[in-house]
Amino acid sequence: MSTGARLAVLGVLFLALFSVLTLRLWTVQVTASTEYQILAENNQVRVVETPAPRGEIRDRQGRLMAGTQPALAAVLDGALVPDEDDPDEPDFIQRLSALTGIAADEVRHAVADARTRADRITLVEELSDEQALRLVEYEEDFPGVSVLPQPVRIYPEAVLGGHLVGYIGDPNEDDIAKPGISPTDRVGRAGVERQYDDDLRGTPGIIKYRIDAQQNVLEVVGEQPPEAGDNLILTVDLDVQRILEDSLMKGLRAARDDYQADCDPATDPRCPVRAVGVVLDATDGAVVAMSSVPGYDPNLFVDGVSQREWDRLSELAVFNNFAIQGEYAPASTFKSVAYVLALEERIYALEGEAQVNDATYFCDGQLEFRFTDGSPQVLNDWTSTGHGDVDLHTGLQTSCDLYFWQIALNIWTNRSSTEGGTIAEDLLQQWARRFGFDEPTGVDLPFEQGGLIPDREWFERAQVESPGLVRDGPWTGGDVLNAVIGQGSVLVTPLQLANAYAAMVNGGTLWQPRVVDAVVDEAGEVVRQIAPEAIGHIDLSPQSVAFLRQDLHQVINGPTGTARSAFADFGEGVDLVGGKTGTAEVIKGETAEEDVDTAVFTGVVPIDDPRYVVVIVIERGGSGGQIAAPTAIPVLQYLLTGTTTGSEIEVGSGETD
Amino acid sequence: MAITSARPLGLLQRERALRPDLLLVLPYLALAAFGVLMVYTASAPRLSASGADPGFLMKRQAVFAVVGMVVFVVASMIESRPLKGKVPLIYLGTLVLLLLVLTPLGASRLGANRWIELGPFQLQPSEFAKLGVILALAALLSESVEGPLRWHHLARTAVLMGIPSVLIFLQPDLGTMLVFAFIAATVLFVAGTTWRQLVFLVLVAVVGTIGLLQANALKDYQLTRIVAFMDDTSDLSATANYNQEQSVTAIGSGGFLGKGLLQGTQTNLSFVPEQETDFIFTAVGEQLGFVGAVTVLALYLVLIWRLLVASANARDRFSQLLAVGVAALMVFHVFVNVGMTLRVMPVTGLPLPFLSSGGSAFIAMSAALGLGHGVWMRRSPVPGERQLL
Repeated sequence: MSTGARLAVLGVLFLALFSVLTLRLWTVQVTASTEYQILAENNQVRVVETPAPRGEIRDRQGRLMAGTQPALAAVLDGALVPDEDDPDEPDFIQRLSALTGIAADEVRHAVADARTRADRITLVEELSDEQALRLVEYEEDFPGVSVLPQPVRIYPEAVLGGHLVGYIGDPNEDDIAKPGISPTDRVGRAGVERQYDDDLRGTPGIIKYRIDAQQNVLEVVGEQPPEAGDNLILTVDLDVQRILEDSLMKGLRAARDDYQADCDPATDPRCPVRAVGVVLDATDGAVVAMSSVPGYDPNLFVDGVSQREWDRLSELAVFNNFAIQGEYAPASTFKSVAYVLALEERIYALEGEAQVNDATYFCDGQLEFRFTDGSPQVLNDWTSTGHGDVDLHTGLQTSCDLYFWQIALNIWTNRSSTEGGTIAEDLLQQWARRFGFDEPTGVDLPFEQGGLIPDREWFERAQVESPGLVRDGPWTGGDVLNAVIGQGSVLVTPLQLANAYAAMVNGGTLWQPRVVDAVVDEAGEVVRQIAPEAIGHIDLSPQSVAFLRQDLHQVINGPTGTARSAFADFGEGVDLVGGKTGTAEVIKGETAEEDVDTAVFTGVVPIDDPRYVVVIVIERGGSGGQIAAPTAIPVLQYLLTGTTTGSEIEVGSGETD
Repeated sequence: MAITSARPLGLLQRERALRPDLLLVLPYLALAAFGVLMVYTASAPRLSASGADPGFLMKRQAVFAVVGMVVFVVASMIESRPLKGKVPLIYLGTLVLLLLVLTPLGASRLGANRWIELGPFQLQPSEFAKLGVILALAALLSESVEGPLRWHHLARTAVLMGIPSVLIFLQPDLGTMLVFAFIAATVLFVAGTTWRQLVFLVLVAVVGTIGLLQANALKDYQLTRIVAFMDDTSDLSATANYNQEQSVTAIGSGGFLGKGLLQGTQTNLSFVPEQETDFIFTAVGEQLGFVGAVTVLALYLVLIWRLLVASANARDRFSQLLAVGVAALMVFHVFVNVGMTLRVMPVTGLPLPFLSSGGSAFIAMSAALGLGHGVWMRRSPVPGERQLL
């Protein structure tokens, strides 16, 4: 090959190399240019979120229960904070720890977290003025740490209404997966803070900075201010709430004093452990007050709660709202269900209408009956002496177990699976479910429990699915006898009990309980009204309703009423109070004195035209008449008259239900 | 008659004015002027941000360009015969400079000894060594007129190339070593390698590469750049590829017509490191787009075309090989440098001729181009006829 030819070969080869470059230029600058333009744009723009002020929570009169106040936060920028081993920044962790007063390990963890996520992390939510000043002054000693205004949550009422309001905390992975939630956000973890998180959270603002390759901020190129979250107006009335909580605390205190003033409920199974209360508007399902004592102060969570403190509080489950999460045997308060059933289905202790206006059933304190196999069984009334001649009315007023057992027996012996029987075996359960038992009420609060109304189907499934929970053998009439007086496996939440009573006394409308009345925006415009909603209607004859009101009235005011002595000093308006006591056996003692009981009381005011239902449960507190009813008194006084007599709550003397 | 018939020819030879090749000179001047402008756009925002004179680097580059042009003119005038006589001296001088870099006189920057401090200036001997190597190769291989090379030519070439290569390797400067290899291969090919010799050279290249890798002779960063280039997913690539990613992003975002002078966000905000030196082409691509980038490539292509034409018409074998060596130098620098900014080649520190900021490269390249230009100016009157010097 001649030299000329070789040079020509080279020429072609060189041309080929240049063609490669040109082709590549074409793909980069023409074909894919748009993508690179976006990349270049993103390169120089940094988007920083500014947190939105969380919406406020107020009671029905507009009093603040949760709000925000401006604070200065120390924020770590993952792109800028130095690595722990960075030789240029020795002791960075120690310096930051010393300034903020946060343990070095926690600082180290936060720094590592920010770096791995390359995101911003709030190290301190609320800096003291001095800390903020020093951070700004010695800026160069704290690379990647900035002081930013960030709204911080405050709960001015502290423990009052704590369970209703709930609290906020760091989002978990499920939360972060939702749109609009970043790891630095706080989300509602309990109460309406959780239930209405989407309304309260608002939309974070955005600041776009132009930066250079060293991440220096050159200018602000765009800013979109945060949109504050919407505010909540609760159905709750803080005045009632305060009186309820005060009474519950006093009631629990009195119950403990009656046992051992310094007992520890965590270790002593007889020590009164908790007092729970609900005040429900019977005309529309609005929760006027709801409390579970001991409670907690949501402010604890604003700056994070220490493990030790958490453990101490968790031991008594103070974070649980027992008004919706606690499941209790309703005991005699449940007799009202059988009472209504008796009137509507015309099934009494003895046959015949005489049972509603003629005391012909002899309540002698002991019920003798025979098992299916013929063996005898004796059931004792809560008082061994019995109540003498009773009908349905006096049966409820005196809380005669025998009378209601007899109703249950009548259902059982005439159940449709027996020869000639015509009654549904689960008639009692059907009635209970109509009043909302056995499933969550659907109140707008998280973690609500549904309680339990046992029947054959449940019993047989439990034998298979959770052996040990129920005894062996078939479902029997004895189980129904237990159920009719609200014992055995019957479990209700205080809210369910209140809602059921509301439906019974208001004529049969089962309302959807709710704690939020409206979602309103910053300007006060209503965004969403949570209107009262009837979720069920039970056909009750006006006479049944009138009878029930009258007999609940007699429980308080009648000569043989189980709450008569508790209400002796009620004062003005006692004539407008109706109620029912209940005593649920927790531990059976050798004598009645040694029993451990949970006290239940359900009150209705004014009983002639029911407006409010009050439910009080004092766990391991004693009998309903002795301690639950006295605890309800200040609340009922306030609801009736707008004031209380202020008398101390004491455990009543004498045996009552 | 014999005398008179001889005179006109001799007169003709002597009197033919040395006319410049405008097709080579104008692109050269255009690139030089354009380079000054590009250095300004790539450095001014950063300089003014740090409070310095935004025109500082541009002015310095303008001075280099003027010096370079003078060197170009001088080099164009050098006759090939005296030049060839000086080659051994030039070659030895090159080796001495390369040795000096390794002594305490050499300045270290970014982990490599590539510079000699000369007052306010830094001399980069490797840039001049490239020209020294071209001259040495041309001198060695011009002993044979035409026809196949002998194996002893290859052996002597190997020795001639080996010594400066080792010195360069110690700096270390992988890019310059590759330049040597590419020039040698090109010049050997034009000098007349047989097919067997070509195959042998390819084998040597392959074995040599594997040997370097096996012996862990490469510095970590060299390996990292290569691994990062070949394997996008390797952990190393994250940092090693950052420069190239930013570079491609800058060029790509320039689009067809570019963002306009001083409007390049990537360039202005210093996202591309070394943007007025090794990555100057990125500034071109971002600000002037596909049109500007291709124009620059076209200017280089014209230069290379003229060098190949000069080689084809060279009056003597030495000049012929000299011109093709200079062409190879240009091609390799442009391809590797532009390829690097476009991520078709790994990162090496080869400057873009006449555009990258820096005096040594500009002056050495101007000298090389000037010598090539001189070959054209003194080309053979009869195309294809060559004399043996």
